[in-house]
Amino acid sequence: MSVLITSTPFDPEAAHLDFRKSAGNVGAITAFTGLVRGDRDIVLSLSHYAGMTETEITKIGEAAAARWPITSWRIIHRVGDLQAGEPIVFVAAASAHRRASFEAADFLMDYLKSEAPFWKQETHNHTSQWIEPRAQDKDDIARWQKPIKQKD
Amino acid sequence: MITVLYFGRLSDVGTSGPMVLPGGVVDTDGLTTFLSNNDAALEQAFARAGNRVAVNQNMITDNTPIKTGDEIAFMSPLSGG
Repeated sequence: MSVLITSTPFDPEAAHLDFRKSAGNVGAITAFTGLVRGDRDIVLSLSHYAGMTETEITKIGEAAAARWPITSWRIIHRVGDLQAGEPIVFVAAASAHRRASFEAADFLMDYLKSEAPFWKQETHNHTSQWIEPRAQDKDDIARWQKPIKQKD
Repeated sequence: MITVLYFGRLSDVGTSGPMVLPGGVVDTDGLTTFLSNNDAALEQAFARAGNRVAVNQNMITDNTPIKTGDEIAFMSPLSGG
């Protein structure tokens, strides 16, 4: 049950191992790593609102824990300047049975991609532009507004 | 004093930092109007859809009272992660 926003690169495999060790006696762990897409000449700069961003993401982690029988969750998110190929996000959820961990991790990622308090700027050839969520990201988060039949 | 913060696209036009709570300003709508009246670029940026406001790190959706010591953040549409 924790959120880490970090400006230094992180190792998703180490994060997974840490999460598994702390998850205790569970039957399923779903872990997702997001990497920066695109051209190596592009720098992606992420900023956040220190304090509020952590609080808002914690709320959604708690919402996931209320909705699915997950026993723990973890979110790591990079801020600062990133280049293509770098890990930008790590999400993990643990539960007794697989479905809850899959769905909770999927939900957390959809939230992070559209609603989390981050601001992104892409810089290419000294030209910067602000990035806003894609229509697909908005459709993805909309999926969770409908009730979902809970299965294990 | 209050602290005013700008995030995202709004940080291109607004300068984050402390400022004296202007006389007569008692809420977030009043502050937005005051800042808009003093800066045309900010006025334009505030008029764009999807901006959000937070008071003391809580996102608000309605006009909210403010007082000395508060931290008010103006945020352009969230990019997500």
